[in-house]
Amino acid sequence: MNEDTVLKPAPDVRFRIVDGEAVVVRQRSSEVLVMSEVAARILTLADGVRPIGAWVETLAAEYEVDRATLEQDVLRFAAELAAEGILE
Amino acid sequence: MSFGHGFLRNPDLFPARPAGEPWGDRELVLDLPGGPYGFSGLSADQEEAALARFGDLRLDSEPAVATTVFRAAAEDFLEIDTRGWEYALDFDSGPSSVRLAGLDLTGRLDWRPALRGALWTPAGSALVPEDRFPGIFENFCRVLVAYRLHELGGAVVHGAAVVDGGEALLFAGPSGAGKSTVARMALERGMTVLSDDLNALLPGPVLCGLPFTGDLDKADSRARYPLRALLRLEKDTDDRLRPLGRAETAACLLACSPFVNADPDRHAALLSTYLGLMEGVPAYALRFSLAGGMWGILPEA
Repeated sequence: MNEDTVLKPAPDVRFRIVDGEAVVVRQRSSEVLVMSEVAARILTLADGVRPIGAWVETLAAEYEVDRATLEQDVLRFAAELAAEGILE
Repeated sequence: MSFGHGFLRNPDLFPARPAGEPWGDRELVLDLPGGPYGFSGLSADQEEAALARFGDLRLDSEPAVATTVFRAAAEDFLEIDTRGWEYALDFDSGPSSVRLAGLDLTGRLDWRPALRGALWTPAGSALVPEDRFPGIFENFCRVLVAYRLHELGGAVVHGAAVVDGGEALLFAGPSGAGKSTVARMALERGMTVLSDDLNALLPGPVLCGLPFTGDLDKADSRARYPLRALLRLEKDTDDRLRPLGRAETAACLLACSPFVNADPDRHAALLSTYLGLMEGVPAYALRFSLAGGMWGILPEA
């Protein structure tokens, strides 16, 4: 997992933003998750086209955070979502 | 595994439309939420078995949703060793139909445009005893009611529903969250429990129990109560309430909605249904202990 990695939601994953949070449904297991505002934003950025580096650029413009910390956090979160099978 | 392979010898031969040879000429109309539901094509034994379970819900009226029961050959179904087996129906859904397969049953729900049901079963044949029919019938009814309520802007929700002051509290959560425990505690306090398993959430929102098997006796599915609050159960050693936001509220209900929440053509609409139904209804995460302290912190009318 690095800045060039391109990810998108798994085919059985659907999500919807509700009051800034993401309601994530995994259809195969009927599992439903609620994710934070930042996580919801990352899900919308994971479009299968833009690499993770582009997500970082976008988020850096939206949040007042240290760029290096943001990059580490986004990479870690993307890896967690991929390990959970939510992104692929 | 593709649809039907866990139950059927030839899933490719699944009925493409609601047709076949009915078991008999008996008809039955049941007053379940979203109904009345009519069942035709029953044999006398099947009618008797259905009435033994749901006889108090029998109506003499035209059904809003009609289902026909057809014969199936026992040889069409796989022999399954059910020891230690966790039973789950198999589904294949589309925009205008839902197919289901299970132990000695296949079924269809078709919208043409009104909802119609079809159930094929070998229960009652020489190879499949009649006493399998009540379970088959009830399993089909659960699915039928869930989809019917969905199209009416409601839903079936796993949970314990307790009446307090003429209003309903819905304690929801997955298996093992404590629904039956809460229901027993409520009964011990002399409260009315609508169901400890499946409930119908209808526009209003109002709640009524569904008369399907839980740990308690059959629910009274005709009484309807305004929903005062949703409580998402979390077992703990003390008793605390934490307000839930709209996303957590909708997610909780979505996770507790059998069948429809796994339907790729309908789960988005179900989420919208919940967001609308729960507008203005308070929802909480409830950590509760067996000491019963939660009854003092629940939202009041």
